[in-house]
Amino acid sequence: MTALVVLTVLEIVVLIAALAFYLFWVGTLLARIAGNLEECAEIVRGIVADAALIGPGVEHINETGGVVAGALPLLYGMAEEIVTDVTPRPEPPAEPAPARPASGTRRSRLHDAVGFAPRLFRTRGGVCPPATLVRPAPRDRAGGRCRVLADPLVLPGLVVLLIVAARPVDRDELTGYLLAV
Amino acid sequence: MNSTEHTLWVSALIVGLVVLVAVAVLLSLLIYLVKNIDRRVVTVRDTLKAAKANTADTVLIPQVATGVDAVLAEGLQHHLFLGRVLGKVKS
Repeated sequence: MTALVVLTVLEIVVLIAALAFYLFWVGTLLARIAGNLEECAEIVRGIVADAALIGPGVEHINETGGVVAGALPLLYGMAEEIVTDVTPRPEPPAEPAPARPASGTRRSRLHDAVGFAPRLFRTRGGVCPPATLVRPAPRDRAGGRCRVLADPLVLPGLVVLLIVAARPVDRDELTGYLLAV
Repeated sequence: MNSTEHTLWVSALIVGLVVLVAVAVLLSLLIYLVKNIDRRVVTVRDTLKAAKANTADTVLIPQVATGVDAVLAEGLQHHLFLGRVLGKVKS
């Protein structure tokens, strides 16, 4: 009887002690977990505060950077124009003198084509046509005796008029002249 | 106390001992699970600390935005300067 009572009391005490021990252990672990979770919550709030700066800041940077990127081509375009205007250019090569024949001025064949043969005669200044047809300008009279009108006027000779008027102009020939003109 | 009562008392003591062992096992399992939770919470805390360290420099973003604004203002000054100089050079 006494042994049973003692065993019963001992069993109850052990049960209560075990429950108390495990509850204390679990309580300690849960308190530590609560502390860690509270720290995690604090860190998450800090991360949220840091991340809140990212959106507006990056948007601002993107907008301003776009304006800068759009303005840079204008800037270096103007700079290139300035450099182009300021840079000294090499002087263009001197224009060579026109080539002139060593034999002097050639006689025109236009007169021959129309059947005109001016009679040239020599003076001290050179060769002159007859004074009745072409005369040098007064300022060109280098000591010569040629006298000319202000504008050299060459009238068709009598032979030319006769040749032109001697035959009628054909229709095809006239068209050919016009087309050539 | 007769034998029947003695047998029942002993049986009750045995059942109580079994219950005590079962409670100990279940509470040990609970302790194991809670310890597991504690380890994983510690891991989460360390990861969050690393993330906090990574995002700690985001305070520089507004400063960078201010710097980019300064670059834009300086670019406008360059534009005005080049406009003046270009007009003089061309004239």
